[in-house]
Formats: sequence, C-alpha cells, structure tokens
Amino acid sequence: MEELMNQHYSETEKHRIFHTEFMPHINSMHNFAYRLTLDADDASDLVQDTYLKAYRFIDSFQQGTNAKAWLFRILKNSFINDYRKKSKEPSMVDYQDVETYYNSDEVNRQITPDLRVEALQDMIGDEISNALNSLDVDFRTVIILCDLEGFKYDEMAKILDIPIGTVRSRLHRARNLLKEKLTDYARKMGYKNT
Amino acid sequence: MPTLPDSSDPSKSFNCREMLQKILDGEATTEQQQQFKIHMAECMPCYKGYELEMAIKMLLQKKCNGNGAPPDLIEKIKNQISQITPH
Repeated sequence: MEELMNQHYSETEKHRIFHTEFMPHINSMHNFAYRLTLDADDASDLVQDTYLKAYRFIDSFQQGTNAKAWLFRILKNSFINDYRKKSKEPSMVDYQDVETYYNSDEVNRQITPDLRVEALQDMIGDEISNALNSLDVDFRTVIILCDLEGFKYDEMAKILDIPIGTVRSRLHRARNLLKEKLTDYARKMGYKNT
Repeated sequence: MPTLPDSSDPSKSFNCREMLQKILDGEATTEQQQQFKIHMAECMPCYKGYELEMAIKMLLQKKCNGNGAPPDLIEKIKNQISQITPH
C-alpha cells in the first residue's frame, strides 16, 4: 500500500465506495487475474482476496483518484505475494538477462515481421489468447494493461512499481514477442513469408 | 533509423518507430497522430506497420477480454462485504 494520507470514511461511505467505485471493475479485474494465474479457480480466489483487501484498506483510497488503477495494483501485488510462488510457471525471470537479450541487435533483426493482416483475420479461434498467455507474465501484464485496459504509462508505472521508461521498453518488447508468436501461428496455418 | 523531416518546421521531425509506439500505447497527442497520418500516406513501411499493429490490438480486444466475472463470485464478494459490520 502506498503511504498516503488516510481517509476516515464512515461505514456507510465505505459500502457506497465499494459498490459504486470498486465493483464496476470486477470483469476487468477477473480477466486480469485469469491472465496472470492462467487458472479459473486461482483467478476467482485472487479477485476475492483483492476485493476484501480493498475493503480493508479503503481508508487509503482517495475518492476522485483512479479506483481501477488502485484495484489493479492491489491485485498485482497479491498475485506476486501469494500466487506467483505457488504457480507452476518458472518463477521470476532474471530481468537483467531478458532486457539485455531483447535489446540486442540479434533480436531486432529477427523481428522483421512477415506477419500479415490477412493472417490475423484468419485467427478466429484461441490463437491470440494462447499467444498472449504464452508470454512471460511480466510481458503479458503490460499488454493487458495497455491494450485491453487502456492504462497510460504513468498509471502502469504505479500499478507495477516500475519507472515509466521501463513500462515503455517492456511494452515494446512484449509487442515484438507477441508478434513472433503470431508469426509462428501464421506459418502453421500455411501463410508463407513473402 | 528513418526520420521524417517536417518541411514546414525542421524541429518537428520525428522518429517513425517511436511515434508508432506512442500511438499504439495511447500516448500520442492529437497533433502527433495527425502528423503520423500524413506521414503514413507517403511511407509504405509505416503504413504496413501501423495496420499490422492495430490489427493485433483489435484482435486482442476482441478475443482476450474474457467472459466477465462468474456471477457466483460477484455474489460471494458482495455477501462477504455486507457481513462486515461496523464496530
């Protein structure tokens, strides 16, 4: 939780804020939780935990600020603290390695996408969803926050506790990785590189 | 790295790739979007890049937004909150 000036809401106020400002984001929250945990039960548990935490810490929420970003931050932190540990996926990637690798010329050369719009239009099944889910969780996260939820750089920086510059570069790499995955699918679907 | 000099004002020249990312990320100003639009009309690689990136973005929004939270989860949360009594 951010060290902010705490509010002192009455119980009635708390309930009102919870129902009018927090609950409307439940579908986005659930999708975010599912994309992080990749498990329906874990996603529901994570959302439930997050909402209970949000209520418990409601005095640190300032009305008029972005409730959705505030909730996403709690969810992301709960995921890291309580779920990431037990998830089957290989834990924390060594970021230094990843960032160095994806900054290298070698990768930039590989990413001259032969992917075409027509191939994407044929991806009517779960291809894009599977491609997204196959990305490392940190790359997956920025795509969700930006492309699905429309958060701005400064909001993502707060949700993820990283500098804005890192948000930008991580998004850039995430998009390239996603394109690589989609290019693989396109090849499997019979699209030839031109 | 290709840059586009703005003929009317050289200080406004911009880096195409960076501008494309700004647009995709929703961080470009209206003016920058206009500038890129004009540029795209004359630059095939930028046009193609933009079309592809936007198609991916659209596909993500269409296919990866989930089916909404399960109704029983919503009920469960509401019940738990309503049981928290003032003290």
